[in-house]
Amino acid sequence: MTTARAAAILLAKELRLEFRTRELLTATVVFAVVVVVLFSFAFDPTAAESRRYGPGLLWIAFLFAGSLMLHPSFGREQANQTLDALRMAPISPFAIVLGKMLANLLFLSVAEVILVPVFAVLYNISLAGIVGRLAIVLVLGTLGVVVTGTVFSAISAHARMRELLLPLLLLPILAPLLIAAVEATASLFSERPVLDRAWLAFLGGFDIVFLTASWLLSDFLLEE
Amino acid sequence: MTHFHFLFAAWMAVWAVFFVYEISVASRVARLREEIERLKQQVREG
Amino acid sequence: MKARFGITALVAALLFFAGYAALFIAPDESTMHEIQRVFYFHVALWSAMYTALTIAFVANIAWLATRQPRWDWLGVSAVEVGVVSCTGGLITGVLWGKPAWGIWWTWDARLTTAFLLWLLYIAYLLLRGLLEDPQRRATLSAVFGIFAFLDAPLVYASNRLWRTQHPAPVVFGGDNSGLDPVMGKVLMVCIFALLPVMILLLVDRYRLERMRHEVDELRLAVESGAARPNSAVTKGAI
Repeated sequence: MTTARAAAILLAKELRLEFRTRELLTATVVFAVVVVVLFSFAFDPTAAESRRYGPGLLWIAFLFAGSLMLHPSFGREQANQTLDALRMAPISPFAIVLGKMLANLLFLSVAEVILVPVFAVLYNISLAGIVGRLAIVLVLGTLGVVVTGTVFSAISAHARMRELLLPLLLLPILAPLLIAAVEATASLFSERPVLDRAWLAFLGGFDIVFLTASWLLSDFLLEE
Repeated sequence: MTHFHFLFAAWMAVWAVFFVYEISVASRVARLREEIERLKQQVREG
Repeated sequence: MKARFGITALVAALLFFAGYAALFIAPDESTMHEIQRVFYFHVALWSAMYTALTIAFVANIAWLATRQPRWDWLGVSAVEVGVVSCTGGLITGVLWGKPAWGIWWTWDARLTTAFLLWLLYIAYLLLRGLLEDPQRRATLSAVFGIFAFLDAPLVYASNRLWRTQHPAPVVFGGDNSGLDPVMGKVLMVCIFALLPVMILLLVDRYRLERMRHEVDELRLAVESGAARPNSAVTKGAI
Protein backbone atom coordinates (compact mmCIF):
# COMPACT_ATOMS: atom_id res chain seq x y z
CA MET A 1 0.00 0.00 0.00
CA THR A 2 1.41 3.38 -0.89
CA THR A 3 2.10 5.93 1.79
CA ALA A 4 -0.45 8.32 0.35
CA ARG A 5 -3.22 5.79 0.34
CA ALA A 6 -2.40 4.58 3.85
CA ALA A 7 -2.32 8.16 5.09
CA ALA A 8 -5.69 8.82 3.47
CA ILE A 9 -7.24 5.79 5.16
CA LEU A 10 -5.78 6.80 8.52
CA LEU A 11 -7.03 10.34 8.00
CA ALA A 12 -10.51 8.99 7.41
CA LYS A 13 -10.24 6.97 10.61
CA GLU A 14 -9.15 10.01 12.61
CA LEU A 15 -12.03 12.06 11.21
CA ARG A 16 -14.57 9.34 11.91
CA LEU A 17 -13.25 9.02 15.45
CA GLU A 18 -13.39 12.71 16.10
CA PHE A 19 -16.76 13.37 14.57
CA ARG A 20 -18.30 10.72 16.71
CA THR A 21 -17.91 12.91 19.77
CA ARG A 22 -16.50 16.20 18.44
CA GLU A 23 -15.16 16.82 21.92
CA LEU A 24 -11.64 17.75 20.83
CA LEU A 25 -12.87 20.17 18.22
CA THR A 26 -15.34 21.82 20.56
CA ALA A 27 -12.81 22.17 23.34
CA THR A 28 -10.25 23.65 20.97
CA VAL A 29 -12.60 26.26 19.57
CA VAL A 30 -13.92 27.26 22.97
CA PHE A 31 -10.43 27.56 24.39
CA ALA A 32 -9.26 29.71 21.49
CA VAL A 33 -12.26 32.00 21.91
CA VAL A 34 -11.57 32.30 25.63
CA VAL A 35 -7.97 33.30 24.91
CA VAL A 36 -9.10 35.94 22.41
CA VAL A 37 -11.65 37.34 24.85
CA LEU A 38 -9.15 37.40 27.73
CA PHE A 39 -6.73 39.37 25.60
CA SER A 40 -9.35 42.06 25.19
CA PHE A 41 -9.17 42.64 28.96
CA ALA A 42 -5.44 43.22 28.69
CA PHE A 43 -5.90 46.31 26.59
CA ASP A 44 -8.78 48.34 25.24
CA PRO A 45 -8.62 47.75 21.52
CA THR A 46 -8.98 50.93 19.53
CA ALA A 47 -8.94 50.54 15.78
CA ALA A 48 -5.24 51.26 15.41
CA GLU A 49 -4.28 49.04 18.32
CA SER A 50 -6.41 46.20 17.04
CA ARG A 51 -4.60 46.33 13.75
CA ARG A 52 -1.25 46.41 15.50
CA TYR A 53 -1.75 43.76 18.13
CA GLY A 54 -4.53 41.78 16.53
CA PRO A 55 -2.44 39.48 14.33
CA GLY A 56 -0.18 38.62 17.26
CA LEU A 57 -3.10 37.79 19.50
CA LEU A 58 -4.77 35.74 16.84
CA TRP A 59 -1.74 33.60 16.20
CA ILE A 60 -0.94 33.18 19.87
CA ALA A 61 -4.52 31.98 20.37
CA PHE A 62 -3.99 29.48 17.52
CA LEU A 63 -0.69 28.31 18.97
CA PHE A 64 -2.09 27.78 22.46
CA ALA A 65 -5.19 26.07 21.19
CA GLY A 66 -3.12 24.01 18.78
CA SER A 67 -0.64 22.80 21.36
CA LEU A 68 -3.48 21.64 23.57
CA MET A 69 -5.26 19.99 20.70
CA LEU A 70 -2.21 18.24 19.34
CA HIS A 71 -1.44 16.35 22.50
CA PRO A 72 -4.18 13.74 22.15
CA SER A 73 -2.94 13.05 18.65
CA PHE A 74 -0.67 10.33 19.91
CA GLY A 75 -1.88 10.46 23.47
CA ARG A 76 -5.12 8.75 22.54
CA GLU A 77 -3.24 5.93 20.83
CA GLN A 78 -1.17 5.40 23.92
CA ALA A 79 -4.16 5.03 26.20
CA ASN A 80 -5.62 2.23 24.12
CA GLN A 81 -2.31 0.86 22.89
CA THR A 82 -3.59 1.04 19.36
CA LEU A 83 -0.23 2.24 18.13
CA ASP A 84 1.14 -1.30 18.23
CA ALA A 85 -1.60 -2.39 15.87
CA LEU A 86 -0.75 0.45 13.52
CA ARG A 87 2.93 -0.39 13.62
CA MET A 88 2.25 -3.97 12.62
CA ALA A 89 0.30 -2.92 9.56
CA PRO A 90 2.26 -3.08 6.29
CA ILE A 91 2.52 0.69 5.98
CA SER A 92 5.43 3.04 6.38
CA PRO A 93 5.71 4.86 9.72
CA PHE A 94 5.52 8.11 7.81
CA ALA A 95 2.06 7.15 6.61
CA ILE A 96 0.90 6.97 10.23
CA VAL A 97 2.48 10.31 11.05
CA LEU A 98 1.18 11.89 7.84
CA GLY A 99 -2.34 10.65 8.49
CA LYS A 100 -2.29 12.30 11.90
CA MET A 101 -0.77 15.48 10.50
CA LEU A 102 -3.54 15.78 7.94
CA ALA A 103 -6.19 15.11 10.58
CA ASN A 104 -4.71 17.75 12.88
CA LEU A 105 -4.49 20.17 9.96
CA LEU A 106 -8.17 19.73 9.33
CA PHE A 107 -9.16 20.06 12.99
CA LEU A 108 -7.08 23.16 13.58
CA SER A 109 -8.31 24.68 10.32
CA VAL A 110 -11.92 24.15 11.33
CA ALA A 111 -11.18 25.86 14.65
CA GLU A 112 -9.58 28.76 12.77
CA VAL A 113 -12.47 29.13 10.34
CA ILE A 114 -14.74 29.57 13.34
CA LEU A 115 -12.34 31.75 15.27
CA VAL A 116 -11.31 34.30 12.63
CA PRO A 117 -14.79 35.79 12.11
CA VAL A 118 -15.32 35.89 15.90
CA PHE A 119 -12.04 37.69 16.24
CA ALA A 120 -12.86 40.10 13.43
CA VAL A 121 -16.12 41.03 15.12
CA LEU A 122 -14.65 41.42 18.62
CA TYR A 123 -11.73 43.55 17.44
CA ASN A 124 -13.51 45.45 14.68
CA ILE A 125 -11.26 44.32 11.88
CA SER A 126 -12.76 44.16 8.43
CA LEU A 127 -12.13 40.97 6.51
CA ALA A 128 -13.55 42.34 3.28
CA GLY A 129 -11.35 41.63 0.28
CA ILE A 130 -8.65 39.78 2.18
CA VAL A 131 -10.33 36.48 2.94
CA GLY A 132 -8.61 34.54 0.16
CA ARG A 133 -5.16 35.86 0.95
CA LEU A 134 -5.72 35.40 4.66
CA ALA A 135 -6.64 31.80 3.97
CA ILE A 136 -3.27 31.26 2.28
CA VAL A 137 -1.43 32.66 5.28
CA LEU A 138 -3.55 30.58 7.66
CA VAL A 139 -2.97 27.37 5.74
CA LEU A 140 0.80 27.81 5.51
CA GLY A 141 1.06 28.80 9.14
CA THR A 142 -1.21 26.05 10.41
CA LEU A 143 0.71 23.50 8.36
CA GLY A 144 3.90 24.40 10.21
CA VAL A 145 2.17 24.17 13.58
CA VAL A 146 0.65 20.83 12.75
CA VAL A 147 3.77 19.25 11.25
CA THR A 148 5.98 20.06 14.23
CA GLY A 149 3.17 19.54 16.71
CA THR A 150 2.35 16.04 15.53
CA VAL A 151 6.00 15.02 15.69
CA PHE A 152 6.33 16.40 19.20
CA SER A 153 3.10 14.75 20.22
CA ALA A 154 4.71 11.45 19.25
CA ILE A 155 7.82 12.35 21.22
CA SER A 156 6.07 13.55 24.36
CA ALA A 157 3.60 10.67 24.39
CA HIS A 158 6.32 8.55 25.98
CA ALA A 159 7.34 11.09 28.59
CA ARG A 160 6.09 12.05 32.01
CA MET A 161 4.19 15.33 32.27
CA ARG A 162 3.30 15.04 28.62
CA GLU A 163 0.53 17.66 28.66
CA LEU A 164 3.00 20.27 29.82
CA LEU A 165 5.87 18.93 27.78
CA LEU A 166 4.25 19.34 24.39
CA PRO A 167 3.81 23.15 24.57
CA LEU A 168 7.23 23.39 26.17
CA LEU A 169 8.83 21.67 23.20
CA LEU A 170 6.59 23.16 20.55
CA LEU A 171 6.38 26.86 21.30
CA PRO A 172 10.12 27.66 21.13
CA ILE A 173 10.44 25.76 17.86
CA LEU A 174 7.51 27.68 16.41
CA ALA A 175 8.89 31.11 17.25
CA PRO A 176 10.06 31.84 13.68
CA LEU A 177 6.73 30.65 12.32
CA LEU A 178 4.92 32.92 14.77
CA ILE A 179 6.92 35.93 13.61
CA ALA A 180 6.34 35.14 9.93
CA ALA A 181 2.62 34.41 10.32
CA VAL A 182 2.00 37.49 12.44
CA GLU A 183 3.85 39.76 10.02
CA ALA A 184 2.06 38.30 7.02
CA THR A 185 -1.30 38.67 8.75
CA ALA A 186 -0.45 42.19 9.88
CA SER A 187 0.31 43.30 6.36
CA LEU A 188 -3.13 41.99 5.37
CA PHE A 189 -4.87 43.82 8.23
CA SER A 190 -3.16 47.11 7.45
CA GLU A 191 -4.78 50.13 5.81
CA ARG A 192 -3.67 48.93 2.40
CA PRO A 193 -3.67 45.15 2.58
CA VAL A 194 -0.86 43.43 0.73
CA LEU A 195 0.28 39.82 0.70
CA ASP A 196 3.87 39.90 1.91
CA ARG A 197 5.76 37.52 -0.32
CA ALA A 198 8.92 37.42 1.78
CA TRP A 199 7.10 36.16 4.85
CA LEU A 200 4.97 33.82 2.80
CA ALA A 201 8.11 32.30 1.31
CA PHE A 202 9.52 32.00 4.81
CA LEU A 203 6.41 30.14 5.99
CA GLY A 204 6.64 27.85 2.99
CA GLY A 205 10.30 27.23 3.70
CA PHE A 206 9.59 26.45 7.35
CA ASP A 207 6.93 23.95 6.34
CA ILE A 208 9.16 22.24 3.79
CA VAL A 209 12.12 21.96 6.18
CA PHE A 210 10.14 20.37 8.95
CA LEU A 211 7.97 18.21 6.74
CA THR A 212 11.14 16.79 5.18
CA ALA A 213 12.72 16.29 8.59
CA SER A 214 9.57 14.50 9.77
CA TRP A 215 9.60 12.26 6.72
CA LEU A 216 13.25 11.33 7.28
CA LEU A 217 12.85 10.74 11.00
CA SER A 218 9.40 9.15 11.26
CA ASP A 219 10.86 5.65 11.60
CA PHE A 220 12.52 6.70 14.83
CA LEU A 221 9.42 8.41 16.13
CA LEU A 222 7.35 5.28 16.18
CA GLU A 223 9.86 2.77 17.43
CA GLU A 224 9.02 0.30 20.13
CA MET B 1 37.51 53.58 34.25
CA THR B 2 33.99 53.85 32.90
CA HIS B 3 31.60 51.11 34.04
CA PHE B 4 34.42 49.07 35.47
CA HIS B 5 32.15 47.12 37.80
CA PHE B 6 30.11 45.85 34.83
CA LEU B 7 33.26 44.71 33.05
CA PHE B 8 34.50 42.99 36.18
CA ALA B 9 31.11 41.36 36.73
CA ALA B 10 31.14 40.08 33.14
CA TRP B 11 34.63 38.64 33.51
CA MET B 12 33.64 37.00 36.79
CA ALA B 13 30.48 35.68 35.18
CA VAL B 14 32.52 33.94 32.46
CA TRP B 15 34.67 32.25 35.07
CA ALA B 16 31.72 31.44 37.32
CA VAL B 17 29.66 29.89 34.56
CA PHE B 18 32.41 27.47 33.56
CA PHE B 19 33.69 26.88 37.06
CA VAL B 20 30.33 26.07 38.62
CA TYR B 21 29.51 23.66 35.82
CA GLU B 22 32.91 21.96 36.00
CA ILE B 23 32.64 21.56 39.78
CA SER B 24 29.17 20.09 39.45
CA VAL B 25 30.32 17.58 36.82
CA ALA B 26 33.52 16.71 38.68
CA SER B 27 31.72 16.06 41.96
CA ARG B 28 29.19 13.80 40.26
CA VAL B 29 32.05 11.94 38.58
CA ALA B 30 33.75 11.42 41.95
CA ARG B 31 30.54 10.11 43.50
CA LEU B 32 29.96 7.74 40.61
CA ARG B 33 33.51 6.49 40.78
CA GLU B 34 32.87 5.40 44.38
CA GLU B 35 29.57 3.82 43.37
CA ILE B 36 31.27 1.90 40.55
CA GLU B 37 33.95 0.59 42.92
CA ARG B 38 31.28 -0.47 45.38
CA LEU B 39 29.27 -2.24 42.70
CA LYS B 40 32.34 -3.94 41.22
CA GLN B 41 33.09 -5.26 44.67
CA GLN B 42 29.55 -6.59 44.95
CA VAL B 43 29.80 -8.35 41.59
CA ARG B 44 33.08 -9.94 42.60
CA GLU B 45 31.54 -11.25 45.80
CA GLY B 46 28.24 -12.31 44.26
CA MET C 1 45.55 12.03 36.95
CA LYS C 2 48.71 14.10 36.52
CA ALA C 3 48.04 14.55 32.83
CA ARG C 4 44.55 15.74 33.65
CA PHE C 5 45.86 18.23 36.19
CA GLY C 6 48.34 19.49 33.63
CA ILE C 7 45.66 19.95 31.00
CA THR C 8 43.33 21.76 33.40
CA ALA C 9 46.16 24.07 34.41
CA LEU C 10 46.97 24.75 30.77
CA VAL C 11 43.35 25.54 29.93
CA ALA C 12 43.06 27.83 32.96
CA ALA C 13 46.24 29.59 31.84
CA LEU C 14 44.76 30.04 28.37
CA LEU C 15 41.65 31.58 29.87
CA PHE C 16 43.76 33.94 31.99
CA PHE C 17 45.76 34.99 28.97
CA ALA C 18 42.61 35.62 26.97
CA GLY C 19 41.29 37.75 29.81
CA TYR C 20 44.54 39.65 30.00
CA ALA C 21 44.46 40.25 26.24
CA ALA C 22 40.88 41.42 26.37
CA LEU C 23 41.37 43.68 29.35
CA PHE C 24 44.82 45.14 28.68
CA ILE C 25 46.16 44.41 25.21
CA ALA C 26 43.11 45.35 23.18
CA PRO C 27 42.97 49.01 22.22
CA ASP C 28 40.40 51.30 23.75
CA GLU C 29 37.13 51.67 21.89
CA SER C 30 36.08 55.21 21.19
CA THR C 31 32.41 55.26 22.21
CA MET C 32 32.03 52.70 24.98
CA HIS C 33 35.59 52.59 26.34
CA GLU C 34 36.23 49.86 28.87
CA ILE C 35 32.87 48.14 28.87
CA GLN C 36 33.30 47.34 25.18
CA ARG C 37 35.89 44.77 26.23
CA VAL C 38 33.06 42.45 27.25
CA PHE C 39 32.61 42.00 23.50
CA TYR C 40 35.62 39.64 23.39
CA PHE C 41 34.20 37.23 25.96
CA HIS C 42 30.69 37.68 24.63
CA VAL C 43 31.50 36.68 21.04
CA ALA C 44 33.83 33.91 22.21
CA LEU C 45 31.00 32.42 24.27
CA TRP C 46 28.70 32.40 21.27
CA SER C 47 31.34 30.62 19.18
CA ALA C 48 31.72 28.05 21.93
CA MET C 49 27.95 27.60 22.00
CA TYR C 50 27.58 27.15 18.25
CA THR C 51 30.48 24.71 18.19
CA ALA C 52 28.95 22.68 21.01
CA LEU C 53 25.50 22.65 19.41
CA THR C 54 26.94 21.60 16.07
CA ILE C 55 28.74 18.73 17.79
CA ALA C 56 25.41 17.79 19.40
CA PHE C 57 23.67 17.82 16.02
CA VAL C 58 26.28 15.49 14.53
CA ALA C 59 26.05 13.24 17.59
CA ASN C 60 22.25 13.09 17.30
CA ILE C 61 22.46 11.97 13.69
CA ALA C 62 25.22 9.49 14.50
CA TRP C 63 23.14 7.94 17.27
CA LEU C 64 20.15 7.46 15.00
CA ALA C 65 22.39 5.99 12.31
CA THR C 66 24.56 3.69 14.42
CA ARG C 67 22.81 3.19 17.80
CA GLN C 68 26.17 3.26 19.54
CA PRO C 69 25.69 4.60 23.10
CA ARG C 70 28.71 6.91 22.89
CA TRP C 71 26.88 9.14 20.44
CA ASP C 72 24.03 9.56 22.89
CA TRP C 73 26.54 10.41 25.61
CA LEU C 74 28.23 12.92 23.34
CA GLY C 75 24.87 14.41 22.36
CA VAL C 76 23.68 15.22 25.86
CA SER C 77 27.14 16.42 26.93
CA ALA C 78 27.43 18.77 23.97
CA VAL C 79 23.96 20.19 24.55
CA GLU C 80 24.65 20.81 28.24
CA VAL C 81 27.94 22.53 27.48
CA GLY C 82 26.19 24.52 24.75
CA VAL C 83 23.54 25.66 27.22
CA VAL C 84 26.25 26.64 29.71
CA SER C 85 28.06 28.69 27.05
CA CYS C 86 24.76 30.26 26.01
CA THR C 87 24.06 31.20 29.62
CA GLY C 88 27.44 32.89 29.77
CA GLY C 89 26.73 34.67 26.52
CA LEU C 90 23.38 35.93 27.73
CA ILE C 91 24.80 37.12 31.07
CA THR C 92 27.68 38.96 29.40
CA GLY C 93 25.22 40.40 26.90
CA VAL C 94 23.04 41.83 29.65
CA LEU C 95 26.06 43.15 31.54
CA TRP C 96 27.23 44.87 28.38
CA GLY C 97 23.85 46.18 27.41
CA LYS C 98 23.03 48.07 30.56
CA PRO C 99 26.12 50.32 30.65
CA ALA C 100 26.45 50.59 26.88
CA TRP C 101 22.86 51.37 25.83
CA GLY C 102 21.16 52.01 29.15
CA ILE C 103 18.81 49.05 28.72
CA TRP C 104 19.11 45.54 30.11
CA TRP C 105 17.75 43.86 27.05
CA THR C 106 16.85 44.48 23.42
CA TRP C 107 15.06 42.22 20.99
CA ASP C 108 17.54 42.42 18.15
CA ALA C 109 18.05 39.41 15.88
CA ARG C 110 21.12 37.96 17.54
CA LEU C 111 20.07 38.31 21.16
CA THR C 112 16.59 36.98 20.45
CA THR C 113 18.05 34.01 18.59
CA ALA C 114 20.38 33.30 21.48
CA PHE C 115 17.60 33.47 24.04
CA LEU C 116 15.38 31.22 21.99
CA LEU C 117 18.16 28.68 21.46
CA TRP C 118 18.73 28.70 25.19
CA LEU C 119 15.05 27.88 25.77
CA LEU C 120 15.03 25.29 23.03
CA TYR C 121 17.97 23.34 24.36
CA ILE C 122 16.78 23.58 27.92
CA ALA C 123 13.61 21.97 26.60
CA TYR C 124 15.87 19.22 25.19
CA LEU C 125 17.40 18.66 28.63
CA LEU C 126 13.96 18.66 30.27
CA LEU C 127 12.73 16.15 27.70
CA ARG C 128 15.59 13.83 28.52
CA GLY C 129 14.79 14.13 32.19
CA LEU C 130 11.21 13.07 31.56
CA LEU C 131 11.92 10.07 29.35
CA GLU C 132 12.76 7.02 31.41
CA ASP C 133 13.68 4.21 29.07
CA PRO C 134 17.32 4.80 28.00
CA GLN C 135 16.89 3.64 24.41
CA ARG C 136 13.78 5.68 23.86
CA ARG C 137 15.29 8.66 25.63
CA ALA C 138 18.29 8.60 23.35
CA THR C 139 16.24 8.22 20.18
CA LEU C 140 13.50 10.73 20.89
CA SER C 141 15.84 13.37 22.26
CA ALA C 142 18.01 12.90 19.16
CA VAL C 143 14.98 13.59 16.96
CA PHE C 144 14.13 16.68 18.98
CA GLY C 145 17.77 17.77 18.90
CA ILE C 146 17.78 17.58 15.12
CA PHE C 147 14.59 19.64 14.92
CA ALA C 148 16.06 22.20 17.30
CA PHE C 149 19.24 22.56 15.27
CA LEU C 150 17.27 22.96 12.04
CA ASP C 151 15.21 25.62 13.73
CA ALA C 152 18.23 27.72 14.75
CA PRO C 153 18.96 29.36 11.37
CA LEU C 154 15.22 29.90 10.88
CA VAL C 155 15.04 31.70 14.21
CA TYR C 156 17.92 33.95 13.18
CA ALA C 157 16.56 34.60 9.69
CA SER C 158 13.05 35.43 10.90
CA ASN C 159 14.36 37.79 13.56
CA ARG C 160 16.72 39.44 11.10
CA LEU C 161 13.96 39.97 8.56
CA TRP C 162 11.63 41.19 11.28
CA ARG C 163 14.19 43.60 12.68
CA THR C 164 14.91 45.17 9.33
CA GLN C 165 11.20 45.95 9.22
CA HIS C 166 11.07 47.16 12.83
CA PRO C 167 14.53 48.56 13.53
CA ALA C 168 15.92 48.15 17.02
CA PRO C 169 19.00 49.89 18.40
CA VAL C 170 21.87 48.99 16.12
CA VAL C 171 23.85 46.77 18.37
CA PHE C 172 26.96 45.34 16.80
CA GLY C 173 27.14 47.24 13.53
CA GLY C 174 29.77 49.58 14.83
CA ASP C 175 32.15 46.95 16.10
CA ASN C 176 32.23 44.28 13.47
CA SER C 177 32.20 46.51 10.45
CA GLY C 178 35.85 47.29 9.90
CA LEU C 179 37.30 45.87 13.07
CA ASP C 180 40.61 47.30 14.17
CA PRO C 181 43.31 44.65 13.43
CA VAL C 182 44.49 44.42 17.02
CA MET C 183 40.90 44.03 18.19
CA GLY C 184 40.46 41.32 15.59
CA LYS C 185 43.50 39.45 16.89
CA VAL C 186 42.36 39.72 20.50
CA LEU C 187 38.96 38.41 19.45
CA MET C 188 40.57 35.41 17.78
CA VAL C 189 42.65 34.77 20.90
CA CYS C 190 39.56 34.80 23.07
CA ILE C 191 37.58 32.57 20.75
CA PHE C 192 40.38 30.04 20.54
CA ALA C 193 40.99 30.17 24.26
CA LEU C 194 37.39 29.46 25.11
CA LEU C 195 37.20 26.47 22.78
CA PRO C 196 39.56 24.29 24.86
CA VAL C 197 37.59 25.25 27.97
CA MET C 198 34.42 24.10 26.28
CA ILE C 199 36.06 20.90 25.09
CA LEU C 200 37.37 20.14 28.57
CA LEU C 201 33.87 20.50 29.99
CA LEU C 202 32.56 18.34 27.18
CA VAL C 203 35.05 15.56 27.86
CA ASP C 204 34.24 15.57 31.58
CA ARG C 205 30.51 15.51 31.01
CA TYR C 206 30.95 12.69 28.50
CA ARG C 207 32.90 10.73 31.08
CA LEU C 208 30.10 11.29 33.59
CA GLU C 209 27.56 9.93 31.14
CA ARG C 210 29.74 6.93 30.35
CA MET C 211 30.10 6.22 34.07
CA ARG C 212 26.34 6.43 34.57
CA HIS C 213 25.99 3.80 31.89
CA GLU C 214 28.60 1.67 33.62
CA VAL C 215 26.73 1.98 36.92
CA ASP C 216 23.51 0.81 35.27
CA GLU C 217 25.30 -2.18 33.74
CA LEU C 218 26.93 -3.08 37.05
CA ARG C 219 23.61 -2.80 38.86
CA LEU C 220 22.13 -5.18 36.34
CA ALA C 221 25.04 -7.56 36.86
CA VAL C 222 24.59 -7.44 40.62
CA GLU C 223 20.88 -8.17 40.32
CA SER C 224 21.30 -11.04 37.90
CA GLY C 225 24.16 -12.41 40.01
CA ALA C 226 22.02 -12.35 43.13
CA ALA C 227 19.07 -13.87 41.28
CA ARG C 228 20.97 -16.94 40.14
CA PRO C 229 20.35 -19.59 42.84
CA ASN C 230 23.69 -21.36 43.06
CA SER C 231 25.95 -18.55 42.04
CA ALA C 232 28.11 -18.90 45.12
CA VAL C 233 28.56 -22.61 44.48
CA THR C 234 29.40 -22.23 40.82
CA LYS C 235 31.97 -19.58 41.68
CA GLY C 236 33.61 -22.04 44.04
CA ALA C 237 33.21 -19.83 47.05
CA ILE C 238 31.55 -22.57 49.02
